[in-house]
Amino acid sequence: MARPQPISTGSGETQIVVRGLRKQYRVPRKRAGLLASVGSLFWRQHKIVRAVDGIDFTVAPGEVVGFLGPNGAGKTTTLKVLSGLLYPTSGEVSVLGHTPWRRQRAFLRSIALVMGQRSQLQWDIPAIDSFTLCRTIYDVPERQYRETLDELVDLLDLRDLLTKPVRQLSLGERMKCELAASLLHRPSVLFLDEPTLGVDVTMQGRIRRFIAEHNARTGATVLLTSHYMADVVALCDRIIVIHHGHLLYDGGLAAMTAQLAPFKTIRVDLEPGTVADSPDLWHAYGDVVDAQNGKVSIRVPKAAAAGIVARILSDLPIADLTVEDPPIEEVIDLVFQNGDRADPPPGVEAPQD
Amino acid sequence: MPHTLRAYPSLFRVAWTTMFQYRAEMLIWAAWGFVHPLVALAVWSAAAHGRTIVGLGRADFAAYFLTLMIFSHLTMSWDAFEFSYLVQSGRLSPKLLRPIHPIHEAIAYNIAYKLITLLLLVPVWLLILWALHPNAATRAWHLAAVVPVLLLGAAVRFLWNYCIALVAFWTTKVDAINSLYWSFDQFLGGRLAPMALMPAFVQTAAWFAPFRSMVVFPVEVALGQLNGRQILEGLAMQLVWLVLGYGLFRLLWRLGIRQYSAVGA
Repeated sequence: MARPQPISTGSGETQIVVRGLRKQYRVPRKRAGLLASVGSLFWRQHKIVRAVDGIDFTVAPGEVVGFLGPNGAGKTTTLKVLSGLLYPTSGEVSVLGHTPWRRQRAFLRSIALVMGQRSQLQWDIPAIDSFTLCRTIYDVPERQYRETLDELVDLLDLRDLLTKPVRQLSLGERMKCELAASLLHRPSVLFLDEPTLGVDVTMQGRIRRFIAEHNARTGATVLLTSHYMADVVALCDRIIVIHHGHLLYDGGLAAMTAQLAPFKTIRVDLEPGTVADSPDLWHAYGDVVDAQNGKVSIRVPKAAAAGIVARILSDLPIADLTVEDPPIEEVIDLVFQNGDRADPPPGVEAPQD
Repeated sequence: MPHTLRAYPSLFRVAWTTMFQYRAEMLIWAAWGFVHPLVALAVWSAAAHGRTIVGLGRADFAAYFLTLMIFSHLTMSWDAFEFSYLVQSGRLSPKLLRPIHPIHEAIAYNIAYKLITLLLLVPVWLLILWALHPNAATRAWHLAAVVPVLLLGAAVRFLWNYCIALVAFWTTKVDAINSLYWSFDQFLGGRLAPMALMPAFVQTAAWFAPFRSMVVFPVEVALGQLNGRQILEGLAMQLVWLVLGYGLFRLLWRLGIRQYSAVGA
């Protein structure tokens, strides 16, 4: 299948362009209790929820981009707008040169959205019958269909699952079939909403490996949301952090830690026999994360790290000392906590374009 | 359009495979279609009590309600229930992202269901016809005319039912409005009694509602109750309701889809 031409935005090749995207929902505000319910029959209050509140980014062909954010951050809404399910309140979006929510046939044939267990598959019939339906709906030539199907069956190990009714499959098995159904027409852009939600750790790893392989083999662009850091770390070269509908960070994973974490962790091994692992002593240097058995970890502001290391080395008998970036989960936690404030947290730079 | 039509055989196959998973339910639904017309027939036969009401005797009622039963089945549509479930459960979302309008799946299921149940129902219908000795002035040309009239009736009924279904974009659930629609259908669609028995104002009102075009008009054609001119008028009305229904469907779809918030998905 010929790939759609990427649109040019003047800043190199891009496949997805999002500018000033906003999506608001008007939701009824209801108080608890019967009286309030009766009241709402006559007088209904609404509130506006800004699910996505002005975000911009572009994606180049073949990129694997991870959307991170807590529940309700706006990542799934963004994905739904990009795939054409939702009309945005305002803003411009172009995917493969199409406006997604117009849902033109050429656009729909070149994308796929996989939403957890919301299904391409018909519940009551074997997956293979749903696959055949996909073939005709997407107008996939018979030979290409055979090739793609064989490939997917091998990669995802589907052979024994194809003829069982979908409702008899386990969650993980269903997800594998779901992925296969979404890829039969060889989409050039793949949107994955929580692809590993609810499946066990082994299956998570398997799905991750499959997505990475698929991207490498076909060059398909992949945008995915996930609660699991491991998904993002394993798959994405680029992270977009969304919180309260705002874009907090857009860039590489390694750079995110350096950029977003305003602190470093100093780990110290004391000389054997030294009794200096009392937390009280270490409070003078920074926040104590852990202090026992002659091993101490403290968290210090990034800018002050060098000076504090020098002081520790001169004050105490140290066997070993390392300075580390904090684990990615901690950084993300910190970003989300700080993101609750109106302004970006200290150390968070303006989103990159 | 050609690619859409090419998908139909697959849609039929999926529909039939699914239906055979639930054979008992399929049969019960099909049998449910017998109940209402047979009860109405029993009531009116009892009321006529060997005489006639407005010129209609037991054999006339038998012809009317049996034909009504058959045509009701052939024009049946249930998307108002189905579609609101799709919206409510979020299952509409994946269907919206396929390069085929979800209405085609609904049409294919509708046709598939009727074709498969016909195998079962035709012998039963023949048995009932034989048992009840209905009286009708049907000629061969009536039977020829009834084919397009019945197809149009099914199309009108499907489209208007689908329009009711689309209200789910705004309200998520459509049970209440569907019940209201169903009541009008009972009254103005000749389900309770032949239109000849209805007060004049109801007969007039029925001309200005789509329900008459769906089932009663084809029944009247089949029973040879209408002359050539009346049939042409009825056909024209069917076309009007078809076009209006289609326009309404396009409008509701365009507005509704903007409203759609992909709940639960």
